[in-house]
Amino acid sequence: MEDYQTGEETAFVVDEVSTIVKEAVEGAIGENSYQQSRVKQWTNNVVEQCLSQLNKLGKPFKYIVTCIIMQKNGAGLQTACSCFWDNTTDGSCTVRWENKSMYCIVSVFGLAI
Amino acid sequence: MILTTETLESNKRFERSCYLNLLPLFFIQVAFNPDEASNAVKECIEGVIGGVDYSQNKVNQWTATIVEHSLTQLVKQGKPFKYIVNCAVMQKSGAGLHTANSCYWDTTTDGSCTVRWENRTMYCVVSVFAVAITL
Repeated sequence: MEDYQTGEETAFVVDEVSTIVKEAVEGAIGENSYQQSRVKQWTNNVVEQCLSQLNKLGKPFKYIVTCIIMQKNGAGLQTACSCFWDNTTDGSCTVRWENKSMYCIVSVFGLAI
Repeated sequence: MILTTETLESNKRFERSCYLNLLPLFFIQVAFNPDEASNAVKECIEGVIGGVDYSQNKVNQWTATIVEHSLTQLVKQGKPFKYIVNCAVMQKSGAGLHTANSCYWDTTTDGSCTVRWENRTMYCVVSVFAVAITL
């Protein structure tokens, strides 16, 4: 009887996820300026791209990806998050990205099955 | 001897029927109830920032309090779920804000709910994600 492999292969690796997210954001928004008509499409593209790349990792996790895009206009934005889960197996990673006209905050939560 | 055998058989049948009755209890998975969660969250928001104006000094404290209270209320419901509560508070100053989320989970048991709240000076968006714990 072989034991299911635990450790590196099935833990939530923050750096790996962070890289995936940064690539997704760059690919979807890149150097574009904030445009109200296109922002909905951008947020959708970012979350879908992140989720499909995360699934390709093939780990036994359920994922939740959230994306916030905010125009740079001097307004204040504060976000907070609280989680009730298993500390040993579950994890999260938040990536903050910005360009000249907007901020983008992407959070990924991974919950072990 | 014949009597003994019959007694043993009837005992086995009794045991089997006990197991069959208990099986449904182990396999019922409770689904997420977004309305209940939504109400709990609205009360928390009102309790923390109802009637106050946006203040940069305090907003840090407000978001932390909202997520903690919401999480406590949700856990008190006693359902077999892991929860993630996310809160964003934004000052009303004409800026555009767009949020999106995507989830890879079991659609029969897991769910989410988002509450949007505002007053004169700020917007508050709270999202709750609930992922079922498989027993």
